[in-house]
Amino acid sequence: MRIFRTLLLSACAAGLLAGCGGSGTSGGSVNSSSTRGTLIQNPPLRTASVTATDFTAQLNATSAGPGLLQVAGAPTCGIDFHYIQYATVGGAGEATTATGVLMVPTAPANASPATLAQCTGPRPIVLYAHGTSTVKTFNLAAISDQTNDANGESALIATMFAAQGYILVAPNYAGYDASTLPYHPYLNADQQSKDMIDALTAARSALGHVFASGTTDNHKLFITGYSQGGYVAMATQQALENLGQPVTAAAPMSGPYATEAFGDAMLLGSVDIGSTVFIPMITTSYQNSYGGIYNSTSDIYESAYATGIDSLLPNTSPLATLFTQGKLPQLALFNSTTPTPGSGTTPSTGNTTLDAELTSVLALPSNPLFQSGFGSNNLLKNSVRIAYGADALVNQDQAIFTSAGAPLANGAIFTQVGAPLATSTTYPLRTKLQLNDMRYKRYSSSTTGFVPQHPTLLCGGANDPTVFFSVNAGTMKAYWAPMLLPNGLVTVLDLETGLGNGDPFTLAEGGFAQTIAGIKTQAVAAGATDGGVSAATQAYHDTVAPFCTAAARGFFSQF
Amino acid sequence: MKTYTTTPLFAALILLVGLIDSAHADNDNELRLGAYLIHYNAQAQDAVGTGAAAVPSGYHLNLSVDNVQTLYLAYVRHLSPHFDLELAAGIPPKTNTVGKGSPTFGSVPFAGQTIATTRWFSPTLLVNYKFLDPSSAFRPYMGLGVNYTHFYNNASTAAGDAVGGGPTLVNLSDSVGASGTIGISYRVKKDWTLYGSYSQTHIRSAAELISAGASRKTTIDFQPGAVVLSAGYSF
Repeated sequence: MRIFRTLLLSACAAGLLAGCGGSGTSGGSVNSSSTRGTLIQNPPLRTASVTATDFTAQLNATSAGPGLLQVAGAPTCGIDFHYIQYATVGGAGEATTATGVLMVPTAPANASPATLAQCTGPRPIVLYAHGTSTVKTFNLAAISDQTNDANGESALIATMFAAQGYILVAPNYAGYDASTLPYHPYLNADQQSKDMIDALTAARSALGHVFASGTTDNHKLFITGYSQGGYVAMATQQALENLGQPVTAAAPMSGPYATEAFGDAMLLGSVDIGSTVFIPMITTSYQNSYGGIYNSTSDIYESAYATGIDSLLPNTSPLATLFTQGKLPQLALFNSTTPTPGSGTTPSTGNTTLDAELTSVLALPSNPLFQSGFGSNNLLKNSVRIAYGADALVNQDQAIFTSAGAPLANGAIFTQVGAPLATSTTYPLRTKLQLNDMRYKRYSSSTTGFVPQHPTLLCGGANDPTVFFSVNAGTMKAYWAPMLLPNGLVTVLDLETGLGNGDPFTLAEGGFAQTIAGIKTQAVAAGATDGGVSAATQAYHDTVAPFCTAAARGFFSQF
Repeated sequence: MKTYTTTPLFAALILLVGLIDSAHADNDNELRLGAYLIHYNAQAQDAVGTGAAAVPSGYHLNLSVDNVQTLYLAYVRHLSPHFDLELAAGIPPKTNTVGKGSPTFGSVPFAGQTIATTRWFSPTLLVNYKFLDPSSAFRPYMGLGVNYTHFYNNASTAAGDAVGGGPTLVNLSDSVGASGTIGISYRVKKDWTLYGSYSQTHIRSAAELISAGASRKTTIDFQPGAVVLSAGYSF
């Protein structure tokens, strides 16, 4: 008997001991330093690896893929997608983490010398900033997951850049995916530029340690991004240039660069498509970054939405669900009964002339697009429009007022040379929009707002109903006009009109025009009676993206 | 995960040994040496990961285990003319885990690739009932018992790392499960006996593959079947 017991005991003991130890925690090394730009997991997880042939086949199997391939060209390189996690900061400077993607071009060892040269060895880096997403799980590294909100944009930049031999780095932004930040510092120039720079630092430290270890940084850096990311790209270019770090060229696309002018246009009544998302994203960001936007969400939001709106976006549920659940109105940013300060129960500003001006300026706009932003069950209180509007009328942003001081209608800008910011502001939200406007003197080492030091292409479409081209790219162009920048340093490309003689972007412009025409034709065929205008308007902002991105790649290829 | 209540079975075994042990005669110890020929009918759930490690729909990351042969060693206590207690073990075999399911994961080859290797410490304690009279040359027997398996030296291969997306740790939980055997013995002479048997053992392990910090999990039922050919010496 004894021998059995001994054997059994020793077997169990061996099992117990082994059970207590032996299980590792990672695979690779983990660096939990909070130093900005620290790559937390090195090497970073490869979420997908595709050959050029397989990637082409996969794209062709999706609905948007064939069109994308037509614009971007057939992939030359395979792509390894890596999920990077890195240390960065939040909007208030607090330490946090964020995630993103590193796309490394690859080629099989037996590829042609030309392919090997284009897809391996020292390659340029494109640092890309993505557009607005309301979905918390947004992850550009999840290329194989077509249900991820980032999937389309990830496929676009992979096809456009990585498949053509650019190393691509793109953060998901703090506040998304597995980031530990409980909010997203939306349109916070300082934080978002740091997030980009930290993603770049982390990605650079991964190169050489990934499967495609032979693909390395050739020290050319291109910065681009779309929509929110257009703004972030510009802020990043400014931050890197201010730090004296090398930037080869930049191409911000369709971004809200002039946040003060854009905010003024919107609050005065030029309501853009998507405003019921943009406004909560901005107020939540600035409240968390700076405080003082409101004491309580009910100060600015109607009671139907005030509760929980400060933690609503980004959300794990898709936007359509949030609309259905009544957490956000789909279109009605403002009440269709516009305010009349000093009349009835609406308090006066204390200045009857201003009251009258506000009543007129805040009235229902004539443009049907902007009108659709007015309704019942609206998001923002009229009191916000009065307070913001009073500040905007008294302290005018010169980009959106005529020389006579009247506000321009329909989101237009006054092409006054210099387009200066308001000299002062009083309303907290407007103060922070000014602080983040690209015309704002952000760095003490500079005497101006952002002025590019390296070749820059601003691309967009003049009829963009989501991010107004004139108020943003137009304002920046007007801001730079008196500075007599070196010839060719800045190109502002409107896909609608092109650049005229010698325009190198005619293919992108032609493709864009053709696509918009196709959308209209399709809508008419499906029964639209407006010539397809409404369908084209709804699709406009997203339709610009691939063509401006193609223009950006063409622009970068010169350097 | 389902857990197996082997404790009552174990207690019953000990009790049984206690009851019959007093009846033992001379030559009640035996050592057996032979060969384990093991094949696995491994069944696993498709691996599941979350977040960046999520396995996209359309992909099936499953696995199989290659057959192995190893040395069989056992100590047997003859408890009574009809009951033996057998503690069997093998020289821990190194097994290859092979990808099964999607041919590729992205463009990375998967099915048919050896993705991981592991070694097993897998002793089994059996109570065998031997039929026929002790004087018979041939005696069929059947047994029931309990197996304990500990996996060690778990390692991902280069192919496994490529599928996983980075350096990969393989963790396999210990298993305790039932084992059953049927066999026949042939007494060559007084102290020497030859054995042939077939055993089925339930081995279930929770597997976790951690690639570059990202965890993917599955549960594997290894279900080994083992043919054992051995010779025993009684003393």
